[in-house]
Amino acid sequence: MKKILTLLLSAGLVATATQAVSSPKEDLEKFRMYYEQRFPGIQLDDFGNGPYALDASKRLQWESMEEFPPYEDYIDKGSEIWETPFKNGKSFASCFGKDPSKVRVKYPHWDKASSQVVTLEGDINKCLKDNGEKPFGWKKGKIAHLGAFLGYEARGQKINVVIPDDPKALEAYEEGKHFYYAKRGQLNLACADCHIQYPGHRVRGQLLSTGLGQTTHFPVFRAKWSKAAANSDGMGTLHRRYGGCNKQVRARPFKAQSRQYRNLEFFHTYMSNGLAINAPGYRE
Amino acid sequence: MKKLITAFGLALLITGCNATTPEKPASMKAQYEVALKNAQAAVEKAAAVDGEWRDIRWKKSKKRYLPSAIKAAEAGDYKKALKLLEIATFQAEAGYKQAMEQKNAGPRF
Repeated sequence: MKKILTLLLSAGLVATATQAVSSPKEDLEKFRMYYEQRFPGIQLDDFGNGPYALDASKRLQWESMEEFPPYEDYIDKGSEIWETPFKNGKSFASCFGKDPSKVRVKYPHWDKASSQVVTLEGDINKCLKDNGEKPFGWKKGKIAHLGAFLGYEARGQKINVVIPDDPKALEAYEEGKHFYYAKRGQLNLACADCHIQYPGHRVRGQLLSTGLGQTTHFPVFRAKWSKAAANSDGMGTLHRRYGGCNKQVRARPFKAQSRQYRNLEFFHTYMSNGLAINAPGYRE
Repeated sequence: MKKLITAFGLALLITGCNATTPEKPASMKAQYEVALKNAQAAVEKAAAVDGEWRDIRWKKSKKRYLPSAIKAAEAGDYKKALKLLEIATFQAEAGYKQAMEQKNAGPRF
């Protein structure tokens, strides 16, 4: 009996250890395979369309919305921001390069020098500060407009987040992964509970999307945000959405661009590697 | 026997009086101060492990149990303050416990 128990315990320990050391590549394979098996009829890129890939009636509504997309004006505003020179005569092109279509696909990435995950929004504000300009707010407004423009320019390119073989980068990735799977808040829910266990199910009137493809369409125009804004601007960044999700499970949200959310973005976007960028998106 | 009955009656009277006498504000204030310290420590402990819940003190929460308790105490309503601190402490301790339990959370399909 003792031997059997020891054997079972050892097997359990080995299994736990294997899970703990799974590489990002292995995580990605399991993540993708899960959704492909659960939703066999859906093409990989279609996961980037969130709930509209899962429900025919929602898809019809969304497609009609896309005929005159509400985010269009904000792409134009973002383009203006991109083109407008700073007081010192330089512009965003001085920081990101002349071709705006090559920007979005580089983010998020690991920066070895600062030992942290760098996001597009982080670099937009760094560029402003470096050129003596006032940084934008982190979650909405100009930062989301510029992100919408850069996302639109990058449409069709494949997400390609690289997790370098650097212990600190792997630590950041693991922290992001842990965040995604850890239950939090008074409702005791993890990101994974809604987006891995229950995609396709409803939470009140909303259809839960799959974790796969969730980052491809950010920044996003949300009807809910538009309704709440005095100027009807419904654009928001990924970190705005993270904060909203945490708030909904009654956890205290972290600040946009906090280490926690940057690392979550690192993991979360890596899980959508190979999917096409389709930003900006429209969501309810 | 008479003495025993008298003593028992007296004891009952004293207990009854104690139960019905409202607590003096001074003792409520002392209780509040201890409860506030405990609540603050519990909240910091939960925050240190990223386990703080929304309604304890977050500026956009409508409830904000901890700041509301302080406000109630400032207005002299220690009873309300203590009740709010009880909730804040409970939520902070639960948030910490949750974060500890989720320490090894990972992929589950």
